[in-house]
Amino acid sequence: MMADDNTEQTKTAGQMPAMKPVVDVAAETAKMETDKMWVIMGPQHPFSHGLWTLKIKVDGEIVTDAEPIVGYLHRGWEKEAENRPYPKIIPMADRLCYAASMTYTHLYCMTVEKALGIDPPDKAKYIMIIADEINRLQSHLMWLAAVGTDLGNFTVFLWAMREREYWMDMNVRLCGARMTTNYPRIGGVRNDTPELFDRDIIRCTEHFEKAVWDIIGLIDDSSIYVSRMKNTGILTPEQCANLGITGPALRGTGVDFDLRRDDPYSNYDQIDFDVPVLKQGDSYARYMVRVEEMLQSCKIIKQAMAKVRALGKNAPYRLKVPSNVPAGRHFAKLEDPRGESMMYLISDGTDKPYRLKVRSPIFVNVSASRELCMGCRIADVPAIMAMIDMCLGETDR
Amino acid sequence: MTMDYLEKYRDGRVNTAKTLWVMKPIYLILRLFNKTVVHRPVTILYPYEKLWMPDNYRGRPALAFNTCIGCGMCARMCPTTAIVLVECPDDEGKPVKRPQVNMGRCSFCGYCAEYCPTDAMTMSPIVELAEYTRADLIYGPRRLAYDHTTDGMKIDIEETLLSDYQAGNGERRINPAKTDRPVLDNAKCISCKKCFKSCPVQAITMEEHGKNAKGRPILWPSVDDQKCVSCYTCVDVCPKSALHMNEVL
Repeated sequence: MMADDNTEQTKTAGQMPAMKPVVDVAAETAKMETDKMWVIMGPQHPFSHGLWTLKIKVDGEIVTDAEPIVGYLHRGWEKEAENRPYPKIIPMADRLCYAASMTYTHLYCMTVEKALGIDPPDKAKYIMIIADEINRLQSHLMWLAAVGTDLGNFTVFLWAMREREYWMDMNVRLCGARMTTNYPRIGGVRNDTPELFDRDIIRCTEHFEKAVWDIIGLIDDSSIYVSRMKNTGILTPEQCANLGITGPALRGTGVDFDLRRDDPYSNYDQIDFDVPVLKQGDSYARYMVRVEEMLQSCKIIKQAMAKVRALGKNAPYRLKVPSNVPAGRHFAKLEDPRGESMMYLISDGTDKPYRLKVRSPIFVNVSASRELCMGCRIADVPAIMAMIDMCLGETDR
Repeated sequence: MTMDYLEKYRDGRVNTAKTLWVMKPIYLILRLFNKTVVHRPVTILYPYEKLWMPDNYRGRPALAFNTCIGCGMCARMCPTTAIVLVECPDDEGKPVKRPQVNMGRCSFCGYCAEYCPTDAMTMSPIVELAEYTRADLIYGPRRLAYDHTTDGMKIDIEETLLSDYQAGNGERRINPAKTDRPVLDNAKCISCKKCFKSCPVQAITMEEHGKNAKGRPILWPSVDDQKCVSCYTCVDVCPKSALHMNEVL
């Protein structure tokens, strides 16, 4: 038996077996449908600055769909505002956005001032311009720091945070707290500018105008950053209009719109500044618009401080307002560091609002994440989403 | 006005390789080295060194026990209801009402100091408030004391009256809310004397205005303008909402 088998094997070994046809790899892969996969980034993820989730659908390395999920930080802010008198909402409005708290408080006070039909004194308006711009700088520096860590450069983070500390100190000088400032009031501001504040803020501004070049030099001279940001996350002005995108993202696509200039509130029309606009519409354009906005903010602060000085020490800065607000519907809008924020107030004649609605720019801007991420690679997603400058306090409120 | 950054970087990155070649990084490193050698460090050794706090820094509330009149304006204005009024003995052993602050709830907004009619409440620069239990976070009236209160820590409301401002007079008045006075709606008053009993500064006296159908005296409160601090206590305690505050605007 064994011998027979062996002989048969030796016989067949001499003949070549019929060869299978060679696989055409290119044709096979074209036919083959690779599994598209939903990758869930967040809510605890280094790229998501705050608690939110970005679901992205990937085909290999390419992102084909994206869906943001927000709401993890919902605190019932708007409902809570209905249960308290008007002055007690001011500290709550500080907690809407941790990076630029005073813009939201300012917006709230502007809304109630409109409902009361009063116009705050000039000094309060100019002080609020300074405060808003300090907060814009803080917010943009926080964003710059986040961009640094997202794209893998810790030095940018540390330097940007260091510069932010000086602006935080200015907050402390002005109103006694670093972040939750509780400074604007209905009909003015909490206190006058303290002694030597004008000297300090001009020093701080001049220092920052020099120091910012070091930080942005790290980014602009690094091809890692520039090639990651250029030509990724492109938006067109039409998409911006359809999605309701505002702020630096809108100005990065070539739409020349800034509420501070086009619908001026609190004496911004008295101040000479430029609105940076770029046409590229990519992440790099948004980055450049924000950096230029920081430098423009310094110019605004200098001019506003000169106006406060010119008004003199005894100028009024705070009006006594009635505690009951007449019934009506009013809204105010303001150029937040992140976009256009609005508040809509329905008052019913009592000392508590009937309804207070907040329009957060980030809640609208994050809806563009599908358009931004489509077609880019997974590694680009943190860089693109960093340009939205997420802030979940105001988004989920 | 010019746009410094955009004009320099209008076409994207400046080609440093062409302009400065390898000298730019070397120059940057030397400059940083120089800066770190000459300048002070940005950071501090925290538990041993502490940051300088300006006078107006809002740390925990501090109470001057004997200046306080127990009107409860702080408790009324507190947005987080961290403040409640408690009864405690004063220096002579008499029971008085004084605020007690729950530091676990305090949001350091400074409203208590701002609206205090006698400047008894101030915001001290104390920020180290960690405790082991929640009960330890509750600061009683005596524990709220702070000895180093300076004038910079006191905050006054310097408001301009709306009527003054509209007439072109920008006079700043210190705490004009103190001139608000409670006004009585006579028809609603039931002569219960609650406002009289609860007034912290004894500004209210009950005056007799005839007798009612049952032969009992009709008592209406009358407010002493000199003593009243406009603290809303009488408005709050009135069971029939007969009192309301007449705001001076």
